[in-house]
Amino acid sequence: MSPEQIISELHTASLAALEQATTLDALEAIRVDALGRKGKLAEVSKTFGKLAPEERARVGKLLNTVKQDLETRLDQRKDALASVERDARLESEWVDLTAPAPGIRPGSLHPITQVQRELEELFVSLGFAIMDGPEVETEHYNFDALNIPADHPARDAQDTFWLKDGRLLRTHTSPVQIRALEKFGPPLKMIAPGRVFRNEEVDASHEHTFYQLEGMMVDRDVSVAHLLYFMKTLLSAIFHRDVTVRLRPGFFPFVEPGFELDIQCLICGGKGCPVCKHSGWVELLPCGLVNPAVLRAGGVDPEQWNGFAFGLGLTRLAMMRYGIDDIRLFAGGDLRFLRQF
Amino acid sequence: MKFSYNWLRDLVDQLDTPPGELAQLITIKTAESEGVEPHGEDHVIEIDNKSLTHRPDLWGHYGMAREVAAILGRKLVDPVKPAEFPGSAPVRVSIEDHALCPRYSALVFENVTVRPSPEWLQQRLEAVGLNPINNIVDVTNYVLAEIAQPMHAFDAAKLQGDEIIVRSARPGETIKALNDESYTLDPSNLVIADPAGPVAIAGIIGGADSAISNSTTRIVLESANFNASSVRKTSSRLRLRTDASMRFEKAQDPVNTIRGLERAFALLQEVSPGIRLVGGLADNYRPLPVPPPVVLPLDWLDRKLGRAISGEQVRAILESLEFRVEEIAPRVFSVFVPSWRVTKDVSIKEDLVEEVGRMIGYDSIPPVAPLTPARVPPASPEREFHHRVRQMAAAQGFTEVHNYSFISEEMARVFSVDVAAHVQVSNPIVSDQNLLRTSLLPGIWKNINDNARHFDHFRLFEIGRAIHPDREVPRFTAAMFSKDEDVAGLFELKRLAECLLPGVSVRPAEATQSYEHPRRTGDVLHGETNVGRLFEFHPKMIEGGRASVLDLDLTRLLQFQPTPERYQPLRRFPESAFDLSVVANPRTLIADVQAALEKLAGDTLLSIVFLREFALADEARSLSYRLTLGAPDRTLSADEVGLVRSRIIDGMRSAGYELRL
Repeated sequence: MSPEQIISELHTASLAALEQATTLDALEAIRVDALGRKGKLAEVSKTFGKLAPEERARVGKLLNTVKQDLETRLDQRKDALASVERDARLESEWVDLTAPAPGIRPGSLHPITQVQRELEELFVSLGFAIMDGPEVETEHYNFDALNIPADHPARDAQDTFWLKDGRLLRTHTSPVQIRALEKFGPPLKMIAPGRVFRNEEVDASHEHTFYQLEGMMVDRDVSVAHLLYFMKTLLSAIFHRDVTVRLRPGFFPFVEPGFELDIQCLICGGKGCPVCKHSGWVELLPCGLVNPAVLRAGGVDPEQWNGFAFGLGLTRLAMMRYGIDDIRLFAGGDLRFLRQF
Repeated sequence: MKFSYNWLRDLVDQLDTPPGELAQLITIKTAESEGVEPHGEDHVIEIDNKSLTHRPDLWGHYGMAREVAAILGRKLVDPVKPAEFPGSAPVRVSIEDHALCPRYSALVFENVTVRPSPEWLQQRLEAVGLNPINNIVDVTNYVLAEIAQPMHAFDAAKLQGDEIIVRSARPGETIKALNDESYTLDPSNLVIADPAGPVAIAGIIGGADSAISNSTTRIVLESANFNASSVRKTSSRLRLRTDASMRFEKAQDPVNTIRGLERAFALLQEVSPGIRLVGGLADNYRPLPVPPPVVLPLDWLDRKLGRAISGEQVRAILESLEFRVEEIAPRVFSVFVPSWRVTKDVSIKEDLVEEVGRMIGYDSIPPVAPLTPARVPPASPEREFHHRVRQMAAAQGFTEVHNYSFISEEMARVFSVDVAAHVQVSNPIVSDQNLLRTSLLPGIWKNINDNARHFDHFRLFEIGRAIHPDREVPRFTAAMFSKDEDVAGLFELKRLAECLLPGVSVRPAEATQSYEHPRRTGDVLHGETNVGRLFEFHPKMIEGGRASVLDLDLTRLLQFQPTPERYQPLRRFPESAFDLSVVANPRTLIADVQAALEKLAGDTLLSIVFLREFALADEARSLSYRLTLGAPDRTLSADEVGLVRSRIIDGMRSAGYELRL
């Protein structure tokens, strides 16, 4: 056989073997057999010395062409095989994505905390400071300084837990009004959320421990119009929609004039329904202009400064928001309830 | 307080507003209505008592009628016809202390016939919730309901002598009251007495012995005024609230005693024909102070309401409520307060803002944003920190609970706190919830055992105040429960502590409490300062599982929070690390071995990390650490690192440790 024939046959045979090969190892064997340093094409090239120069050039050219073709075909085949192997491996790496993910899940914050936090952020954005006061209070801060002297009938409305040392558990967050005025003086915009106590029998709608949020703004010439503006802004933000509010007379010794603030019933839009007892309005919070006696008790001259104050029932707000019909759940510590928030 | 619609119609000229609508108007302008109920041919408007505490005049129909007349712009009809009671009084009234009894007026009647009241009178009383008894008593109740003047009728034949004495009770003095109860009195209680003893508890209830009966023919009719706070104290001490005491404790108008007698005089003639007045009026009073008028600048009023109102309108409103108005300077009113609004209600110009505001209607005031300077409010770092703690605990699977601040003495003992170290409640809801918590543990313990009935595993926490006699300390208490018997909870909680305060360490406790696991309890330290406790509950405390607790003082935690300082430049030279394994006794502490290694390593030590432990024979443990060395200005040579390593090994050996090399 001529060298050309040998080369051609080798070419054909190698290509056939290539097609047959199913593993990378088999491909490598074919490569070594045909193209290796001691491979068959190398063997053929050793015989070139016997050829005439022009023939040698021709055969050499053919050899190179075949070499290149084989290398290209080998690489192509290698890639194809590698991809098959990778596919097979990936196929074997199947996981069941419907299996549950391991690890701990976040716990919940108490619903009152969540409502409180939302309000705190809202008020901070309106420039209010957040203040704290003690839960154990003196009669002075809880009553006297708030214009509720001993034997004032308003004390009846706030059944008080008295302590053996003569102090008491605060019946409202209003004492923080006085403490804040004493500490910072006017002008002042502040809220004071916190735990308060009333000596009441507990049932589905009464608790001896609950949460309030006190608010106060003291500045020059604070008016009923300003109070209305803040309440409307606040309540629209709380309920995530524009609310209609109304003020009507309410008696609280620490404000004068004092108001009950009602919002138009969000369930029926004011037409009357069982939630608003068919009146179209829901009583929401007491508020008013700060009584000059309270400003004086806080060391502030009521001829120079005045303000408004309000008290929001956080517990009640949380009940309204989540439709909770039993107030005892809040302090019940039952995770079946608390994990819902 | 119940108001009869028909009664109001008697007192307001041409009242034609339907009862439901009227109740709504009263709610918006005066006091909160709680509803309207039909009552025979009448309607009853129920007004919330709490909204009347500051309005003595509204405890009678006439006061409410005045409001209604002002709201609707109608004329008020006074039911009281002036009468003269000339002649000398048949009884003498002596008052020991006019501060407690500013006024005592009385009339005496004879030829009295006691019998049931006419139908119309009975219906009026029943409509407002008063029981008809007989014509005489019913007249006193009618006057009470109409003009808020409580009255009392004595059977004159049952009184000793002709002197009525208003005095403090003698210690231990007793009286049998109209309700058939006997009361033992003390000098803080005011009584009406005859020379033989008390015949009524002043302003609260009459005595049974001098009560009107069917045989009564001669009566003493009392119309008096008593000090609000004295009546309130006595009424609450005796646990006896009556229609009279409810009115007196709102501070009634002393002018009204005579009006009461005038009204009763007219009614008695109607219900007891032939009744005759004996002599004239007995009336003992101290001169009534006349309060100065309230100066009301109208510009100031406009600024308070946030809306302009004309002087004419202000005057019209105030005059409709029977305030007298004089303009003492341009746009400045001097306002004279009527006697029934003076005692309790109106004394400063702010009170007049309310009178004007409610009558113009607060709905006529448009909301206005205040013009105030932009100012950053004072920060509240404590609250922000507590919230960060909450978020972190929740992120690690803990759910927030709220527990009560009250605990029992039993619970104090369970948690080894002296009962005397607690603030005590004088009037607890339940007799055994009489202490304020000095720790959140009792509540958390209850939460664990309650929830263990529903869950195999859970994590919970509370942030709340521990209340000590001299301070309130915010605390963070977290717990983990597992039905399985393992200690995983302890280290999860330790990790939480490290997240909340980087750099804390836990040191086994030297002494443990009875509720703590004796070998799984430690103090949480920052440096040398105790910031809390980490422990597993003693198994006897927990049903059907194990529970661990992390209990931290949030004040301390906040105090030690790291604040970002100037940054450290990134290291430019490579570090070298090697591991060492130390053989330790069964109860040698990982932290102690680490401290010993650290001390020997010297100042090229960058970090030391505990890797693992494994058990050796005889309960000994192999503790492995990785030490990383480096210098800020060069690469440490192999020799330098080797030197440190041998120094540590030699040092540990001479300290008695064996090393596994």
